[in-house]
Amino acid sequence: MAKEESSKETHWEPQIVAFCCRHCAYAAADLAGGLRLAYPPSVKVFELPCTGRLDVLHVLRTFEDGADGVMVAG
Amino acid sequence: MIVAEQKPLAEIKAMLAGYQKVLVVGCGTCVTVCFAGGEKEVGILASALRMATRLDGNGIDLDETTVQRQCEWEYIDPLADRLEDYDALLSLGCGVGVQTLAERFPSKRVLPGLNTSFMGLPTEQGVWEERCQACGNCILDMTGGICPIARCSKQLLNGPCGGSQNGECEINPEIPCAWQLIWERMSALGLLEQLMEVQPPKDWSTSRDGGPRRIIRDDLRLPEDYRDT
Amino acid sequence: MTDVSTNGYKSGSNLERVLAAGHFAVTGELGPPKSHDADVIRRKTQMLKGYVDAANITDNQTAIVRMSSIAAGAILVQEGLEPVIQMTCRDRNRLAMQSDLLGAAALGIKNVLCLTGDHQSFGNHPTAKNVHDLDSLQLVRMVKDLRDESKFQCGEEIKGGGPGFFIGAAANPFGDPFEWRPYRLAKKVAAGADFIQTQLIYDIPRFKEFMKRVVDMGLHEKVAILAGVGPLKSSGMARYMRDKVPGMIVADEYVDRMVAAVAGIPKEDKAARRDAWRAEGIKICIEQIQQLMEIEGVAGVHIMAIEWEAAIQPIVEGAGLLPRPEVNGR
Repeated sequence: MAKEESSKETHWEPQIVAFCCRHCAYAAADLAGGLRLAYPPSVKVFELPCTGRLDVLHVLRTFEDGADGVMVAG
Repeated sequence: MIVAEQKPLAEIKAMLAGYQKVLVVGCGTCVTVCFAGGEKEVGILASALRMATRLDGNGIDLDETTVQRQCEWEYIDPLADRLEDYDALLSLGCGVGVQTLAERFPSKRVLPGLNTSFMGLPTEQGVWEERCQACGNCILDMTGGICPIARCSKQLLNGPCGGSQNGECEINPEIPCAWQLIWERMSALGLLEQLMEVQPPKDWSTSRDGGPRRIIRDDLRLPEDYRDT
Repeated sequence: MTDVSTNGYKSGSNLERVLAAGHFAVTGELGPPKSHDADVIRRKTQMLKGYVDAANITDNQTAIVRMSSIAAGAILVQEGLEPVIQMTCRDRNRLAMQSDLLGAAALGIKNVLCLTGDHQSFGNHPTAKNVHDLDSLQLVRMVKDLRDESKFQCGEEIKGGGPGFFIGAAANPFGDPFEWRPYRLAKKVAAGADFIQTQLIYDIPRFKEFMKRVVDMGLHEKVAILAGVGPLKSSGMARYMRDKVPGMIVADEYVDRMVAAVAGIPKEDKAARRDAWRAEGIKICIEQIQQLMEIEGVAGVHIMAIEWEAAIQPIVEGAGLLPRPEVNGR
């Protein structure tokens, strides 16, 4: 956390972890890649077989490991 | 089953103040089934506490473990080898589990993470209701299988008080009047006559009122030389 | 031994004698203060004395701490008004109850009304532990055994004889299950109740239905039933009792009459509205008593003018129940 705080003064970018369903959101991210559309490197995409697989624990652990935001897409 | 609820995070955090390394101990029996202190809740609570204490600037190192039954020596004994490093144990067992740990590991600080609520059942998903008070002298034969000790707000033994209306208890419309239920059940069973007898004062000595209770079964007990506790 | 001292009566209380002589009994309610001010009791005593045969002293009514009913009852005895001490099962176990009953008898108290008690969650100590060692029926039986068997609840003999109380119990004809209510009353009679005071009645047809069942079961011959009445103070109170009080039914007719009583009086004129409401409340109460007197099995009325003891006199007078009978036999 302290690291992000200090860099905030210059240019702070939130670290986002996106939990994406394989069948839609993840496929869309894939397609975006195919179309060479850019998205910020601060977004980390995590593939799930289905967003129903997402657990409270996944979200908590993600935050615990330093993410600033979690996106669930499916 | 025993039904429990997790204590508020702030209360648990306050309890843990001053400890550096804590083992969160879940229980795989009743409190797992009521989603209060099983493996998953241990993970969630430990994670939440790690973050919360880190934000407060005094991050506690929390490890997690869950035993099959916290209320039996044989299930908690294997923890003995792991405990040296920990300042405290945070039990997510019921009150029995907390005490079993404290009794087995007297040199360790054992703290309760749950409030043990009652003995009951899930009446629907996400709803638990009390059914038994462990009075030690069951009268369910006389009341159509509905317990007025556990389910009547005034523990009446001779019928409903004046506050029963529309099947609701006077203290809360969400609570059904136990005696309305008893009346309906006994009526359906054709046993209303049984409710007409005046029930004498209850012998509460078998309940908590008689002091802490103990059951000894000589048929099951090991001979003295073989007892290990 | 009780026969000798009470001349054949169970307790020799004025209430018992009035009922035994076949008079239509009148009892009232006197709420002790939320303080130790004995003068409040004395003042209220003067409002009731001569207009009722005995006055109930509530026992931490609605689970709010007030002066003890027995202590207040002792003041009534000094002042020459007969008390009916109320005793709930909420606050005391069987030891405390029996010891208090012995004390009450020693202070000259002769009537006791045995109640379950309102749940403590309604009162000013909602975090209290409740007792309910006995229920109200078991309390009735215990008081009867003290008197008739000279035995404590445990079975041990009371040396020199037990206290002779005239034993009351409550009945709520409006609670549910409705069909169960006459049977609950029958159980109270079987347990040993000598008189019954009912919950406030604001639905006479339903009370009649209840009484018909009671008379069919012959209960009115075994126990004196005093119908509970109380003057309404305002349309707001009538509505509140109709909509919010558990176990209470208030007929719309009374709510409408209380509303009509202040028709045409501007809202700002609070004194005039209060007077109009109170006059109507007393009028309704008198009419109710007259209707209740016609119902078979009703042996008297119990007037609960909550924090309005001054209403008792005009009600008793208006109902034609004065003067109260003097029955000797002590």
